[in-house]
Amino acid sequence: MYAYTDFDRQFVHARAAQFRDQLQRHLAGQLGEEEFRALRLQNGWYVQRHAPMLRIAVPYGELASRQLRQLARIAREFDRGYGHFTTRQNLQFNWIPLHQAADVMELLAEVDMHGIQTSGNCVRNITSDALAGIAPDEVVDPRPYCEILRQWSTLHPEFAFLPRKFKIAVIGAAEDRAAIGWHDIGLHLLKNDAGEVGFRVLAGGGMGRTPVIGALMSPFVPWQQILVFIEAIVRVYNRYGRRDNLHKARIKILIKAEGERFVEAVQREFRTILEKDAGGTEHLIPQSELDRVARHFEVPAAVRAQAPLPTESAPIADAPLAYRRWLERNVHAHRLPGHRAVTLSLKRAGQPPGDATADQMDAAAALADRFSQGELRVTHDQNLLLPWVRASDLRALWEMARQSGFATPNIGLLTDMIACPGGDFCGLANARSIPVAAAIQERFDDLDVLYDIGDIDLHISGCINSCGHHHSGHIGILGVDKDGAEWYQVTVGGSDGSTLSGSALPGKVIGPSFAADEVPDVIEALIDTYRAHRVEHERFIDTARRIGVPAFRTAADATRRATAHAEVTA
Amino acid sequence: MSTRAPIRFVDAAQDPWRALPDAAAQPLAHALLSLDQWQQLRPEWPSALAVGVVVANTVDVETLADDLPRWSLVALQFPKWTDGRAYSQARLLRARLRYGGEVRATGEVLVDMLPLLQRNGFDAALLRADQDLDAARRALKFFAGHYQGDVVQSRPLFSRIEA
Repeated sequence: MYAYTDFDRQFVHARAAQFRDQLQRHLAGQLGEEEFRALRLQNGWYVQRHAPMLRIAVPYGELASRQLRQLARIAREFDRGYGHFTTRQNLQFNWIPLHQAADVMELLAEVDMHGIQTSGNCVRNITSDALAGIAPDEVVDPRPYCEILRQWSTLHPEFAFLPRKFKIAVIGAAEDRAAIGWHDIGLHLLKNDAGEVGFRVLAGGGMGRTPVIGALMSPFVPWQQILVFIEAIVRVYNRYGRRDNLHKARIKILIKAEGERFVEAVQREFRTILEKDAGGTEHLIPQSELDRVARHFEVPAAVRAQAPLPTESAPIADAPLAYRRWLERNVHAHRLPGHRAVTLSLKRAGQPPGDATADQMDAAAALADRFSQGELRVTHDQNLLLPWVRASDLRALWEMARQSGFATPNIGLLTDMIACPGGDFCGLANARSIPVAAAIQERFDDLDVLYDIGDIDLHISGCINSCGHHHSGHIGILGVDKDGAEWYQVTVGGSDGSTLSGSALPGKVIGPSFAADEVPDVIEALIDTYRAHRVEHERFIDTARRIGVPAFRTAADATRRATAHAEVTA
Repeated sequence: MSTRAPIRFVDAAQDPWRALPDAAAQPLAHALLSLDQWQQLRPEWPSALAVGVVVANTVDVETLADDLPRWSLVALQFPKWTDGRAYSQARLLRARLRYGGEVRATGEVLVDMLPLLQRNGFDAALLRADQDLDAARRALKFFAGHYQGDVVQSRPLFSRIEA
């Protein structure tokens, strides 16, 4: 993991002090709500339905046990005892009073954490592959580049007030586990024919009202030049992105409107920086800097020091079914022999997807200390993951994970759904997500059924801002508001861009919205349709692509009660 | 490049720069012109007479390259303080066009913008009238350094710590 330098540490403390000054001026009436708003947003404070929400950055998803314990402490002492992990690998609290904001920032700074640029119209926290550095299919470890990008983007003076938020995701494996096509900039590390490392660069992806998949900016930018290339993209966006209409301000709109001209403008800007600007070559990354940062991401010494491990865990033939299922779903291959990555499922009955209580955070930290070198990852699909587990420890880990409610063997299955906090917390939401998620959890509580359904991505957003990534779900559920009531639009066939799901693609709407209490029936009807039509071991997404929307629509329409005679406005 | 003086807070009462009414648009020392006025008066403007020009944040400053050497001041605009276009303009004026005159922030200029203004090459700020100068001075002092290079310090942290 990256270890903070003295500079990093001073920096987050300086940021906390700066924020305290701003907060005090605000509370003293010297800094108006509108003006304070943009400042607090850039520190992660976002006013919600009940209190300010605090979004804490977990850079590229890497989290240390000591940090998670501090988050548990904050949950206990300042919040109501729980937090919510997001698709952007961050953690959100919901109940911290604003007047305590600066104290919480200080506590975060104590463990090298902060909320810098987790909200606001700036470059947000960089996200990556939860299996970065440990995936067997990895070509280049993205984490050193993520860290270099984190530093470059942190308090970048020119790009602090962009037209709209700006999200960057980075991967370095064959498989896309970070949905890069859905980001403002998607970076895919690869090696060219000469074995040199560079980035395939996409830009202009995004969800929201207008779902767009990122367009190719360059098939190969040498790694040394990536900061300059990104500077060129963001500068063109800062200068020409729309600021007259909030809904048309994302870079995707500019790129859609300008097409090839945008790519040419970026290429021209890129060359001009390097050839003409004073200091224009200063952000070319030297080998020495990459090496310095990469040293932080070496395999932990205790893992390296181990004698060669048996590649397999103990025989499992007579192990309980629950354990075997857990091995199948929650345990992942590792690039080091004798090691595994293990997902701690945050998707279980009785708790919203992605939520963890303070006690659960402490328990996860203890598991990380005992089984994973004190390191965890926050995954894009809102679970925690232990990256350094010995295969021989799996049974012991399972026993302990079960006690803390982390061992639901459902990773990749229907109940491993993505969901935003929705209308229970979020001021933007049109409808609630959590009760819908809970109703679906309850409907599909039979593991045999879940296993029969197999791999499927179910994504729920409480509004068109798409925090729950409904566009990219094999089944997507979107909360909409009609005449003050909660309704849900359902899509089928979306993809995040993973191998399983196919090229990134928004799902197709299957008809007018459904009433809240119809949603579980609709999902069941969609699943039944899949089971009736599937061929051999075909997965939901493949059946959906093959048979198209009509069969799903017919089945879903048959479940309508409240909406049986309703208007047709999707 | 770190010898640049800290950003100056313009005192409106003492400031010599004055806008020219369109009707009386003729060369005058310390006239602050609109771009249109400048384009009209350029042929007759005496080279020894200091002139400043207000540049809207939609202007591509690279198109001003030929005029810049004649200007003593460029006033960039923040119609809203959260509109960040003038940051890019200032950076380009300094780093790309090598403009050495005053780059002044005008419009809705708040104390919390000062670190950004300074780092992007503004050397003067006309703060909104209600802004507190003590808070402004504090705002410039929180950070001892930054990660990425900027107009004042073009080298990023990684090349500074190596040296």
